[in-house]
Amino acid sequence: MRALVVFAHPVPESFGAALRDTVVETLAASGHEVRLVDLNAIGFDPVMDAEERRRYHDPGVNELPVADQIAHIKWCEMLVFVYPTWWFGLPAILKGWFDRVWVPHVTFLMPTESQGIRPNMQNIRRIAVVTTCGATWWLSKWVGEPGRRTLLRGIRPLCHPLCRTTYMAHYKMDSSTPESRARYLAKVRQKIARL
Amino acid sequence: MRVLVLFAHPVETSFQAALHATVVERLRRAGHAVDDCDLYAEGFNPVLSREERLHYHDLGVNRRNVEPYVERVLGAEALVLVHPVWNFGLPAILKGFFDRVFLPGVSFRMENGKVKPSLHNITKLTAVVTYGGARWRALGVGDPPRKIVKRVLRAQIKPLAPVDYLAHYDMNRSTDATRAAFLEKVGAAMARF
Repeated sequence: MRALVVFAHPVPESFGAALRDTVVETLAASGHEVRLVDLNAIGFDPVMDAEERRRYHDPGVNELPVADQIAHIKWCEMLVFVYPTWWFGLPAILKGWFDRVWVPHVTFLMPTESQGIRPNMQNIRRIAVVTTCGATWWLSKWVGEPGRRTLLRGIRPLCHPLCRTTYMAHYKMDSSTPESRARYLAKVRQKIARL
Repeated sequence: MRVLVLFAHPVETSFQAALHATVVERLRRAGHAVDDCDLYAEGFNPVLSREERLHYHDLGVNRRNVEPYVERVLGAEALVLVHPVWNFGLPAILKGFFDRVFLPGVSFRMENGKVKPSLHNITKLTAVVTYGGARWRALGVGDPPRKIVKRVLRAQIKPLAPVDYLAHYDMNRSTDATRAAFLEKVGAAMARF
């Protein structure tokens, strides 16, 4: 499959970067064609400005500021997100990637009086999430996992109707150990290899 | 009360801008001291940098790039958020405000790897929010922005402080009448804040 890995973390030597490398290597070893978008490395600007917001609903025009990113998401059959969960959600740089890149007429068709919003990203058949959480599993569940839901319930319905999802998280990162991190890397390798 | 208003919408002529103007005006008229923080107008950068991530847990150092915002948060007695919901979440500029400003030593402290909320100067929290999609759709997704306010932020501020969530859903199919009614509702809530 054509796999797009979207990565967000500001620290190149972080555990997040190790997760990114594991994901990319494992996908490539499984025979997938891989593209990596490293949002911090490319200096992606997550802030949708006034001009973009005004033209948000204009077909074609709304694609221009982020044409390279739109080409990536139209190209891929699999999306893999690797990011740290901050405040139970996506880092701003990744949230803004959705705000600016997943525009109407490209990723979905606007609702009408008689019809709701309709998906337009049927090329995507697989979504995987690899994240780290400071919070515990219980607390994350109680809060309702806003980050997970934004991706797997907000974005997934725009994709192929049979699009399958995979979610992995290392909880309690602030008290993680070299062993727990190694276990998580191994789990990520195993699950990504099966995609 | 000293009320910090956090506003996140780029377009001056938007319905969100009208909500923002109503919130600030009604609060002031009711006698509150409003600190109006328009994140777009102030050019807030929402991206936590490498240096900030590396010093995230170093109290005293971690806030140096956002000190004025930290002072505004700590100087407030109440918080009002005014923002649209984009992709079932906060606009990046507002999400990044929490990433960069709600730091250890500001809104919480770490004890043995556990988060202890400490933003107890905030004694009231209200969110004024607009959704493109319908209510049932937001519910199906789990309504992440509502949970951020009602569960995550509520836990940071003074225990048992009142939290109010005012939302206009289905903006894509809104009418002059629904928008006027929502403005009226928001204005009334601010008048008795």
